[in-house]
Amino acid sequence: MLNITESTILEALRQIIDPELGCNIVDLGLIYNVTITGTKVRVMMTLTTPGCPMHESIRQGAQTMLLGLDGVVEAEVEVVWDPPWHPSMMTEIGRAATGVGDF
Amino acid sequence: MLIGIVALCVGAAWLVFQPRLLATYHYNQYVISLTHLLVLGWICSVVMGAMYQMAPVALETRLYSEKLAWGHLTFHLVGVVGMVWMFRTWNMKHIGHFGSLLTVGVGLFVFNMAKTLLRVPKWNVTASAVAAGLFWISSGVSAGLLIAVGKCSYDSAEGLATAGGVRTLVGGLRSLAAFMSRFDTLSAMHAHAHLSGVGFFTMLIVGVSYKLIPMFTLSDIQSKRRAAGSVLLLNVSLAGSFASILLRSPWKVAFALGVVGALALYGWELAAILRARKRRMLDWGIKYFLTAVALLLPMTVLAVVLSWPSLPLNAFTGQLENVYGLLGLVGVISFAIIGMLYKIVPFLVWFTRYSRLVGRAQVPALADLYSTRLQAIGYWVFLAGLASACAATLASSEIAARLGCGLIGLCVATLALNVGAMLSHLFKPRISPFMATTPILARPAC
Repeated sequence: MLNITESTILEALRQIIDPELGCNIVDLGLIYNVTITGTKVRVMMTLTTPGCPMHESIRQGAQTMLLGLDGVVEAEVEVVWDPPWHPSMMTEIGRAATGVGDF
Repeated sequence: MLIGIVALCVGAAWLVFQPRLLATYHYNQYVISLTHLLVLGWICSVVMGAMYQMAPVALETRLYSEKLAWGHLTFHLVGVVGMVWMFRTWNMKHIGHFGSLLTVGVGLFVFNMAKTLLRVPKWNVTASAVAAGLFWISSGVSAGLLIAVGKCSYDSAEGLATAGGVRTLVGGLRSLAAFMSRFDTLSAMHAHAHLSGVGFFTMLIVGVSYKLIPMFTLSDIQSKRRAAGSVLLLNVSLAGSFASILLRSPWKVAFALGVVGALALYGWELAAILRARKRRMLDWGIKYFLTAVALLLPMTVLAVVLSWPSLPLNAFTGQLENVYGLLGLVGVISFAIIGMLYKIVPFLVWFTRYSRLVGRAQVPALADLYSTRLQAIGYWVFLAGLASACAATLASSEIAARLGCGLIGLCVATLALNVGAMLSHLFKPRISPFMATTPILARPAC
């Protein structure tokens, strides 16, 4: 069993895209916090817009992805709206992929 | 939505084969039939279908009843096909019959959406515009039905009217017909058209864009007051416009200026939203929509000109009225709908096909579902076609009208091809396994 770290979790979550923006949720800056306790992973994330119709798909997808990782037995993904998402939270890759300007 | 796209294809083909419809005055059975095909068959089908899907998203609530929506679709389909056919043969009695079926469908739609609105957790300008739109479409459809009642004769019902219920019904229709005879038919028709065109479609364009444009461009409403003001002024001006058009009042121009003011406020707010957007790049769907909004400018200028009290009633004025209708129905409303379809259809297809696969396999983004090249071609040929059709209508030139309608038809074809490409994902999903960049994905999730 591999040792789960925050970077492996983020690397896995990079496979999940926001289909409207065509960019993964990590580079969009949607992942706020990752907590690893043994084999349990808890991710706190947000979405670009409250009432986003993709809300449940993305949350559920992130959870499924985490449960597919070797060493993860339990995964919890919570969507929060505070602090609200802002483009300044995006990485360079995210900005380039979505055409968002600098902040 | 698919019914709407079929109706649009039929309408475009009709205009290509009979371009004289644009080159002659609009008060004849063929133009009225074509107009109802486009308004009810294309615009209403798509707008109402999209509202069932998107209003819950835009208003952050759930649809009241899916069953009622299916019931509406049945009445709508029979009503539209029957009405278009009966307008073509100018059978007023059957127009009334099929119009009644359509009205039952609209009643179900309005009831369903009103109940949905009652669930809205936080009332906002979009909810207000949707509520107003429901009021105006009810009024527009009722006015249309009243016009049909007013144009029917009830002599053939004399022998039938023996039973109490039938006698009461015929008596009531006679009274309504007598009431409608006070109004000039053409004015009543124009007033009816404005209730639906401005009250429902334009109101929805305004209200829905306050939610969807910030959502798609990553922006926010910049002034809630300005947004609410535009919806309020549009409602007040439309009520005045309806009455003044119906009564041929010189106040028509004042209320037309009120509508211009409301749309100017809307344009101001929309420009502010776009200036504050975080996503600099605009996709083609948004470009279609914003171009349609920009076409409100020439349309409203024409509305003021046509409302001018001393305007001479000659053949050129008649053609100007045709251009006004063309700009409104095809330029503004249809182009805005095509733009929104490019946002809504990919979402619906993606949601149906791929939402459950997220996290299990690599799924495409919405933009991967259609061809942006086709979108770009459609955009430019539509604008060229609209300009040609407007010029041809003004000049009463059938050849130029055919060219313009042909180009618009080409845009419709690009839309149909793209919708086909999107729908193909429902039958043949394009998924691939995750990239093996890390050993952490030890077991496949699907």
